[in-house]
Amino acid sequence: MTDELGALTTIFTEFYYWITVVLMFLIHVGFCMYEVGASRYKHHQHTLMKNTLLIPLVTVTWFFFGWWIYWAFPTGPGLAPSIMNESAALITDDSLFSAKWYVATSNLMAVNLGDHISGVFWAAFLLFSWTAASIVSGAIIERITTFAFGILAIAIGSVFWTIDAAWGWHFDGWMLKLLGYHDAYASGVIHAIAGGFALGVLAVLGPRIGKFSSSGEPRNIGPRNPWLVCIGLFLIYTGFWGFYAACNIPIFDLGPEYGMEGTTFYTATSIYVTPTTLSGITFNFLMSLSGGLLAGYWVSKGDPFWTYSGGLAGIITASAGNDLYHPLQSMMIAAVGTYIAYKMHYWVERRFKIDDAVGAVAVHGYAGVVGLVICGFVLWGYPSSGYSVGSMWVGTDYAPINPLGMIIGAIIMFGVLGFLPGYILAKILHAAGKLRIPREVEIAGLDYNIMESARKDERSVG
Amino acid sequence: MAQVTNWIEHLTTDVDAATEGVQVADIYPMVGLEWMWLTVAIVFWLWFHVSTGTSEAEEQQKLARKRPSANDYKKNIAEW
Repeated sequence: MTDELGALTTIFTEFYYWITVVLMFLIHVGFCMYEVGASRYKHHQHTLMKNTLLIPLVTVTWFFFGWWIYWAFPTGPGLAPSIMNESAALITDDSLFSAKWYVATSNLMAVNLGDHISGVFWAAFLLFSWTAASIVSGAIIERITTFAFGILAIAIGSVFWTIDAAWGWHFDGWMLKLLGYHDAYASGVIHAIAGGFALGVLAVLGPRIGKFSSSGEPRNIGPRNPWLVCIGLFLIYTGFWGFYAACNIPIFDLGPEYGMEGTTFYTATSIYVTPTTLSGITFNFLMSLSGGLLAGYWVSKGDPFWTYSGGLAGIITASAGNDLYHPLQSMMIAAVGTYIAYKMHYWVERRFKIDDAVGAVAVHGYAGVVGLVICGFVLWGYPSSGYSVGSMWVGTDYAPINPLGMIIGAIIMFGVLGFLPGYILAKILHAAGKLRIPREVEIAGLDYNIMESARKDERSVG
Repeated sequence: MAQVTNWIEHLTTDVDAATEGVQVADIYPMVGLEWMWLTVAIVFWLWFHVSTGTSEAEEQQKLARKRPSANDYKKNIAEW
């Protein structure tokens, strides 16, 4: 940084991502409130601790290996060559954006006067990781061991979502090149995968005791504190502003980047280094929130929990294409996704006896999948990248956005990298006797010992 | 230990000339020993899982043997 303009751009970018991290912290605050509010009194403290513990567990593993995975895996490996080194192997060479620079012992993973971006960019992605793990956390409350949840949180937060981000979010990702995959604000990359993972775990974990009658009819449990749930969801909305901003690159000269020598075009870009504006996505964020809220209120007949969840589902549905949609498109797409997510939640609950305590699979998983599919139709033909756009399946250039590629992408996100790993890991933990708490503890309440001890303390104080 | 002993000398060389001058961009202590810290951190991380997983299982077994009913917790609500 030897000239003022370069320094300003660098420091602005550093500060921009730093602010997004602060805002995204509110997502986790919201998730904690939401989960505790949805759990019953006798499980409150363990529910809070479970979601809180994912912060350190995902953070340290994200430092150990998660961030490395993101930079190493865009090629698959073996599925499409990198535009940086033309190799389909893991990107661990001396390329500019190689995983080599992001091993835990690299001097870029520390205070380094030559690098103002790695730490804040690492943290922005880390907060996405917390979100992915937290989505799973809500679905499985009141019956999973904290140990098992820790393992599952690391798996989704530092491994599987990271792989999907490398494949479908990285500018060099094979899914962009072969499928024309486009997911600007993570309908699939975070939400569909986390929803799918949660469903996989739930299929093995089973419902809370009493959730289904002996004839199989589902019963409604809670929420214990609807106000806490709604404020939690409000905070998630607030944090989502940071989430959207973190998915952008704030200032970039696309002229030379796209090979247009002599052309200068400074703009904000999406994560794919394709042009958009922070102003434009602000339209779309608010209109998709509104579409989701309206649809949620309508379909649930004014239920506060589903109205708030509908707002979130609306944003998630429209997120894949919110860098390019018209605000009115965004609103209607959000409404469609929310309606489908709500209907799917109750159909799956009744049909498969799945007890998703907070509707996380619906709000994140089904809405995310719907969003990806709709994006494939609405943005059909748009370039998925500014770099050398070509035909589908070629692999040496980038396919345009198309419905088939987006449907396959949705299956990869929800099913291959979400549901399957969640199901398999839960099966392993179940076989080891580590997945579910004892029946007696679930009935008594996870906080029984803590409460008993507090009561004794109270009596002794007098 | 110290990676930097003189800020003036350190900052008067351009970052781009790092290989030519005395510029050191990584300013944390004990540069070169990152593997040692990583090993310690991984051991701590693994120990945490084993330790907390074991104590959680023990505590839950103990509670399960007491078999409190679904409403027994209500007797323990403290009103501080």
